[in-house]
Amino acid sequence: MNISMKRFIKENDFVTRNIKDETIIVPVKGDVSDLDSIYTLNEVGSLVWKLLDGQTSVSEIVDAVCSEYDITPEEAQKDVVELIGSLEKAGLIHSSEDNQEKQD
Amino acid sequence: MKIQRYAEWSFGFHQRVVDQRVPIGGSIEVTRRCPHKCVHCYNNLPLSDQEAKLSELTYEEHCRILDEITEAGCLWLLYTGGEIFARKDFLDIYIYAKQKGLLITLFTNGALITPEIADNLVKWRPFSIEITLYGRTRETYERITGIPGSYERCMRGIHLLMERGLPMTLKTVVLTLNKHEIWEMKRFVEEDLGLEFRFDAMINPRIDCSHTPLDVRLTPQEVVELDLRDPKRAEEWKKFSKRQNARVISPEHRDELYTCGAGVAGFAIDPSGMLSVCEFVREHAWDLRSGSFRQGWENFLSEVRCKKITRHTKCVSCSIKAMCGMCPANGKLENGNPEEPVDFLCQVAHLRAYALGIPVLAHGDCEYCDGGEHYRKLMQSVAALRQGKPASVSVQPS
Repeated sequence: MNISMKRFIKENDFVTRNIKDETIIVPVKGDVSDLDSIYTLNEVGSLVWKLLDGQTSVSEIVDAVCSEYDITPEEAQKDVVELIGSLEKAGLIHSSEDNQEKQD
Repeated sequence: MKIQRYAEWSFGFHQRVVDQRVPIGGSIEVTRRCPHKCVHCYNNLPLSDQEAKLSELTYEEHCRILDEITEAGCLWLLYTGGEIFARKDFLDIYIYAKQKGLLITLFTNGALITPEIADNLVKWRPFSIEITLYGRTRETYERITGIPGSYERCMRGIHLLMERGLPMTLKTVVLTLNKHEIWEMKRFVEEDLGLEFRFDAMINPRIDCSHTPLDVRLTPQEVVELDLRDPKRAEEWKKFSKRQNARVISPEHRDELYTCGAGVAGFAIDPSGMLSVCEFVREHAWDLRSGSFRQGWENFLSEVRCKKITRHTKCVSCSIKAMCGMCPANGKLENGNPEEPVDFLCQVAHLRAYALGIPVLAHGDCEYCDGGEHYRKLMQSVAALRQGKPASVSVQPS
């Protein structure tokens, strides 16, 4: 499936903290709670993070970023896909299609 | 857009939020009760103390306070005591705090840790666990705790946590009773256990101002001797003095009563819910049972933090104030007056500075500075320490 159509959802083992305009993703359970695995997001990253709800597609997230910030669709697409790749690699999110496959 | 790892981000985050007075770090003393009767402890009470138990916050009150401190921006939380696991419901409180997204450090003596507790800590992994090791031998350890069998229980607790790979640091407080074992403790922890170890030799009176713990306090000469025997420690003091000494005597901070981070980024909550700028300041406290954390932080503690000095003591312009333990809490506990210089701390700071070659600028009528009443004796101690001799020169305040 084209990444633009994909939907991603946050893992349950993390809590999002917003402190003075900074978004901090704090691991709370099990071996994800190691000292070095805490993640922070900037303002745009925080918007993307909010929209990783399993319902909103990557292309819709790109649209949301474009309407909120002065950025071209190409730049937004590149940044969003890059961030989602990093979040997925870090184990903070997974594709909601993965859930579907597991259920099937 | 980028993801930052913890280590890269933490220092910068502190700097950014401190300027905005966000309570990012706090401590909660869940109980003063403890199975040990340590000779030097500043606040322990017996496990069976019913009055202490009845005055402690309930689980529900803890949860409400955790809701409020996270809402206000707290990220780092220390749970301490007494002994935290003396409360049967401590794990419930801790798990609630974890679910709020706090980075939690646990101070414990390890004695009450069971396999079940250790398993729960694996599931809800803390940021750090710190256990105090009072001695390398059972005899020394139990001379300090006053409880037969406590050494074995502590070691069992350490191993239960180690087996599970939990993040742990061992530490000790150096007293007249265990100073002969300090280097063996360090070797044992670092080499045999492969854990981080640190020590401190600064002892406070009890929070009721009883001076009993001071009976086992090292002399200033013995304290500084520990610095000189450990090159890494000596180097850290030099770096710290370069970084901090100028800041505390800058004109903008000179008339402030509090010169540390207390009440700026940090707070302390005692077992009955009294909020203060630090765990040693009990006289100015806000009752979280009758008011919210936000009210306490934004109004009450802000006023405490803004207190100005009322006297021009030798501490006000002291260029080594940052590396001295003198603070309003220590002044109050040791001398009954937040601004009265504590002679022991003043001796340690000056001796440490002279021994490590850290400049001490003239700062008024100070007995330990060049020309002062005790300067010559202090310099004799420095000479003895530099020659590696145990310093026998005693400096008694007049």
